[in-house]
Amino acid sequence: MLRKLILGLFAAALTISGSGARAAGAPAEIKIGTLYAASGNFAAISMPVHYGLKLWVDQMNAEGGVYVKPYNKKIPIKLIAYDDQSNTATAATLYNQLITQDKVDILVADSGSVLTSVAVPIARDHKMLLIDQTGTGAAFFSKDNPYIVLMSDPVSSIWPKYIADFLTSDGVKLGIKRIALLYSTNDFTGTQANAVRGFIKAANAPVEIVYDQGVPTNTTSYTVIINNISAANPDAVIALGYPNNDISYLRNLQDSGVKYKWQFAIYPGLETEHLEKTVGAKGLEYVYTYTPSSVLEYKAEFGMSLPQFRAAWNKKYGEGKVSFGFNSVAGYTTGLVLQKALAGTESMDQLALRKAIFALSGKLKTIDGSFELDETGAQIGEITPLGQIVPDGKGGLKFVVVYPHDVATGKPVYPAK
Amino acid sequence: MLGYALLAGLVFGLYFSLVGLGLNLVFGVMRIVNLAHGDFLMLGAFGAFWLFGIAHVNPIVTAFLALPVFIALGFPLYYLVVPRLLRAKDPEMLSIILFFGLSQVIEALATIGFGPSERSIPGRVLGSGPVSLFGQSFPSAWMVSGVASGLAVLGVYLYLYRTRLGYLTRAVMVHREEALATGIDVHRVSAIAFGVGLALAAIAGVFAPFMLGSATPAMGVDLNIQSFAVIVVGSLGNPLGTVLGGIVYGVSLMFMQTYFSSWANLLPYLLLILILLVRPSGLLGRQVRRA
Repeated sequence: MLRKLILGLFAAALTISGSGARAAGAPAEIKIGTLYAASGNFAAISMPVHYGLKLWVDQMNAEGGVYVKPYNKKIPIKLIAYDDQSNTATAATLYNQLITQDKVDILVADSGSVLTSVAVPIARDHKMLLIDQTGTGAAFFSKDNPYIVLMSDPVSSIWPKYIADFLTSDGVKLGIKRIALLYSTNDFTGTQANAVRGFIKAANAPVEIVYDQGVPTNTTSYTVIINNISAANPDAVIALGYPNNDISYLRNLQDSGVKYKWQFAIYPGLETEHLEKTVGAKGLEYVYTYTPSSVLEYKAEFGMSLPQFRAAWNKKYGEGKVSFGFNSVAGYTTGLVLQKALAGTESMDQLALRKAIFALSGKLKTIDGSFELDETGAQIGEITPLGQIVPDGKGGLKFVVVYPHDVATGKPVYPAK
Repeated sequence: MLGYALLAGLVFGLYFSLVGLGLNLVFGVMRIVNLAHGDFLMLGAFGAFWLFGIAHVNPIVTAFLALPVFIALGFPLYYLVVPRLLRAKDPEMLSIILFFGLSQVIEALATIGFGPSERSIPGRVLGSGPVSLFGQSFPSAWMVSGVASGLAVLGVYLYLYRTRLGYLTRAVMVHREEALATGIDVHRVSAIAFGVGLALAAIAGVFAPFMLGSATPAMGVDLNIQSFAVIVVGSLGNPLGTVLGGIVYGVSLMFMQTYFSSWANLLPYLLLILILLVRPSGLLGRQVRRA
């Protein structure tokens, strides 16, 4: 009896000391390091992403932290975030600082391809997995670099597929033969312009690109460019730019009294509220654009639904200085993917984290759509259907998905009224 | 396309004359470089946005309001920093550092106040539909902004060449110490010129949402570079040379957008290099000391 008791006490002591050792090994906090641009050219796309991520961090910490499988417990998150002021040189220094000085557990890139581009080689050199939020430049992803994974948006080379498919199929039936292509010369839109050319060429349809020009990303005046496009007499115009480009282009278009029969721009869809405030509802009417997750309302199987996220956003950031839209959803989605990955990873090793994130591919559905990766870490699951913004009859605007047909909610209005 | 680019360049150039005018006036009178010039322009843009947002104040009215407000703002700012700068061994270099700091502070405060995103005012506020000029149509907001810029330039000309204060200002521009020796209240004249310089920047800013599509707290940096190109081409220190510099810049930019659009952002630097190689004193350089 006594022997049994001693053995039992010994076993209990071993169990207690084992779990004690495990708890002692757990860090007091999980350090997530990221950058944001509070000022400069990319602030408008950076701050919504950062605020989206911050909202998730605050939610997790309010619940006692994020569950981390290797430690079998919830651990509070410490978000270390620096302002890179939209400057790539500053961003490079700060990414290094996050890795070497702050020794973050997880490295999250700033929003957009320009500010992500400098992080890609730095993360690779330090063997840190780069959690790429919205940097979709195709050049970032290669089979020999396991240290990057794209969270929210599809890689840029996929984005314009439905534009090109529409123009070379339905567009031809509508009478579209001549296409103008205007793009800003950066990774994000430059890659898309290349993809458009490639898709159109591959389709072998009776359409030709009659205007094909790049402009610097800081271009603010498009009146002369619009006149030059008009001189090429296009049936359809594809304008690929960042928000500042789209705002100036669409305003100049409206002010010049020029109306193309078919006009595409990126950000009327991605940041609708912001563009409506700056361009005006009239300037967005009948513009074709990407239909974003903030409009489509994917059925989220993990995390908040779109209305819930919208309500949480309004409660936290009600002052309206940072617009709600596609980018805010992207930041929140980053958090959700990290939450799932930390709950599934075998260790906090960077490649183990990567493995945990890849394990989610095709199995995770959030408000941003289906999370799916290719072998290089590029996002391929979240589709960008072609939509058209039309008047809703009540003085406002609404989205109509026009392509592909299986998700279409209406017919395109062509030519634009 | 050539004719359209030329006409658009003239209108755009007139606007850029106004953008650079205040910077050159301040440099001409005080020999200091106001690196916060673009940020005062940004404040003018946000002032117009704010007044339009809360009370639908027409930007033309805001442009008139900007004149006394920014002259009044310029007075204390001048007395706070400029006399100290001018007593230094190298005021030009020190001014670059000081106003760079001021620029950062203004941008940060504007970001806190307005957020980092683009802001704008509907183009129809300055007239609806395009306006025809020599058979080419341009946005009416462009034409109104161009005319307003022309009037502001004319106002500066009248101020400098048709008023007693202008004579005194030009005397200070020619030789500050001699002006002081003749009994001119150099600091008062300079403070007014400093305020006028800020007001011109703010007036240019009021029209920025129409000419540049939108305004952001960070827009000052790019505008500073463009302003420098304009005033160096025209002639540093000669406010009216800025008009010529602005038109050269505007026309060149529109030609670049037409024929080499991908390279258009190199224009300010190309112009700076070209003018420094060919005519370092600027196109109207000779007249600097004869103001």
